[in-house]
Amino acid sequence: MKRHKLLSVLAVTVALLLSFALTVDAAPAKDKIRVGWVTSLSGVNAPGVMDTSGNVYKMWVEEVNAKGGLMIKEYGKRLPLDVTMYDDKSDVGTMTKLLEKTIVEDKVDLLFSPWDTAFLFASAPIANKHKMVLMGGSGGAVKLKKMMPKYPYYFQVLNGGDDHMPALADVLAELGVKSAYIAYIQDLHGLEYNEVAQKALPKKGVKILAAKSFPLDQQDFTPLLKEAKASGADAFLAFLYPQNAFPATGQAMEVGYNPKVFYMTVGPCLSGYRDAFTAKGIDGVMGAGAWNVKTSAGAKDFFERYTKRWGKEPEGWGTLMYYSSLQFFGQAIEAAGTLNQTKIKEVMETKTFPTALGDFSFPKHIFQNFPGLVGQWQNGNWEVIDVGAKRTAKPIYPKPEWAPPPKK
Amino acid sequence: MMVRFLDVVIGGLLTGGIFALIAVGFGLQYGVARVLNIAHGEFIMVGAFCAWTLFTMAGITPLYAMLLCAPFFFAVGFVIYRLLYSPLRTSAPSAAAFEGNSMLASFGLMFVIQNIALLIWGAPVKGYTYLAFPINILGALFSANRIVTLIASVVLGAAFYMFLLNTRTGKAIRAAAQDPDAAELMGVRINTVLALCFGFGAMMAALGGLLLSMTSIMLSPVMGMQYTLIAIIVVVLGGLGNIKGSFVGGFILGLVGYIVSSWQPGLSMVAYYVIFLIFLLVRPTGLFAK
Repeated sequence: MKRHKLLSVLAVTVALLLSFALTVDAAPAKDKIRVGWVTSLSGVNAPGVMDTSGNVYKMWVEEVNAKGGLMIKEYGKRLPLDVTMYDDKSDVGTMTKLLEKTIVEDKVDLLFSPWDTAFLFASAPIANKHKMVLMGGSGGAVKLKKMMPKYPYYFQVLNGGDDHMPALADVLAELGVKSAYIAYIQDLHGLEYNEVAQKALPKKGVKILAAKSFPLDQQDFTPLLKEAKASGADAFLAFLYPQNAFPATGQAMEVGYNPKVFYMTVGPCLSGYRDAFTAKGIDGVMGAGAWNVKTSAGAKDFFERYTKRWGKEPEGWGTLMYYSSLQFFGQAIEAAGTLNQTKIKEVMETKTFPTALGDFSFPKHIFQNFPGLVGQWQNGNWEVIDVGAKRTAKPIYPKPEWAPPPKK
Repeated sequence: MMVRFLDVVIGGLLTGGIFALIAVGFGLQYGVARVLNIAHGEFIMVGAFCAWTLFTMAGITPLYAMLLCAPFFFAVGFVIYRLLYSPLRTSAPSAAAFEGNSMLASFGLMFVIQNIALLIWGAPVKGYTYLAFPINILGALFSANRIVTLIASVVLGAAFYMFLLNTRTGKAIRAAAQDPDAAELMGVRINTVLALCFGFGAMMAALGGLLLSMTSIMLSPVMGMQYTLIAIIVVVLGGLGNIKGSFVGGFILGLVGYIVSSWQPGLSMVAYYVIFLIFLLVRPTGLFAK
């Protein structure tokens, strides 16, 4: 075979590899509340889905169905939830097609949100077009919040960069941090956090020495970490996902990079993060989003039930909010007494319901009553260190030395 | 300045060592056995997961795990070639037809291996830390585990090269790389030799994955593809069927990637593709073509 033929085969192959996508189908059912859930069961986002909102959604569905379902006055009886799940392969394009399919072909009664900021951003207009209520889960975009007046069927649950960065700036200012090195992932999450940080940090006297972006599948952070170390910044701030947070931490240990503040957005809040490196190993690491059993009685109860159901602790950023948002959602549907989306939406816009984290409502479609915004590992506990009343422990500063697990 | 230079050069070589190993494996499968093995990355992934399993479940360190895994993956690759690709090769009307058919078969193989891995290990990412402490080389800091991976890749690469040069089987492999039909006419048992190549390729991939897993990366059943792409780029860089070229090409790509990501991490993948395009356009026979 000729070389140029070999090479053309090669070129076609590369093109195929880049465009490959696969969908998994499931069958619909009757006489139930049908819920459409398009999320990433495979691909780059899959690792994060279940440990954040996925298991919470599943647990809530189990709990509702154990009671016989949601009481819908219109039908005069309790209707159990029947969830149809689709795998979007971590591809936004696939997700949008599948979401349209669940609405148009499967004719589902309710939607669960897809996972990741960019996915929410793409799904809100679709839900709105078909007048389906879409209550956000994991993900939130500043840009999306700005566009929300155009999407009256969308409700924002999770906090985002515009909440976290000012809160982080307050904590850094209190600790006396003077300079920061930023690394961010090349997607909407990283871009927005960086954008907000660029304004929020200097306002509190924290100088940003550099801000470097990296691709989604980045695994080798050693060049970046070494550069951050050379910059001499007080704080290392990284806006990324768990699949990056784990290698970034392990490799920071490997290259002996121990700044006074080591902060990452998505990753540290996972109990698996602590367990991978041991509580002592990552003592003092900070992260976005925070709640713990001290937050409220409902939080303690949820923590215990989740741990029993899934055999591991819930993550310390959003799980409590997702769970509470679903409790709110269920109460709103029962109060509406119908599956009519516009009526449910009206209830959600105006009513406040009690949930695990306390009072839950959507003023201007955006949930605000966050349990905490900046977390820090202290002796294996994920503490809220926000400046103000939500704080559950004083911040540790500077961060203690890394203590990697013993060599075998 | 000196420290920075050392940092970039050694850092690049550390990254390149694994690329080299992965590319030699791919080069054996594509350059010699003529199977464009899209599932190459899947062997890397399974190798990495084996290291994780042996380390976290049984406390076997990755270097010992290599001794266990090498013969296993060699055998798996050999059997896959005899069961899947030998029949395709003998029934194909031409070398070109075999090339197309075997590539499609390897796509299938990729999905099969990926989904088996999903069943065994599940979607959540796994990882472990091993030798996660810095070593000081003339003022520049490098992680101990990366230095171990570099040494292991060089030793493996050199051992394999000696094998190619100094044994009868090695000679047969080199003959098959140049022209499989002529080699067969000269009395080389071609199906066995090509199966050997595929087996060695699978072994190199798995060992590459084992070493890779030591460097605190996250393991997931879908991680293989990015390494397949890197292997394809390195093989184009080094020249198809040129084992030495693949080995050196791996180091070159590692160096380039490291230099670019020290400057702008977002552009390392772009740099790989730019090199790929330039070589396809300007020197499609690779760096070391005679």
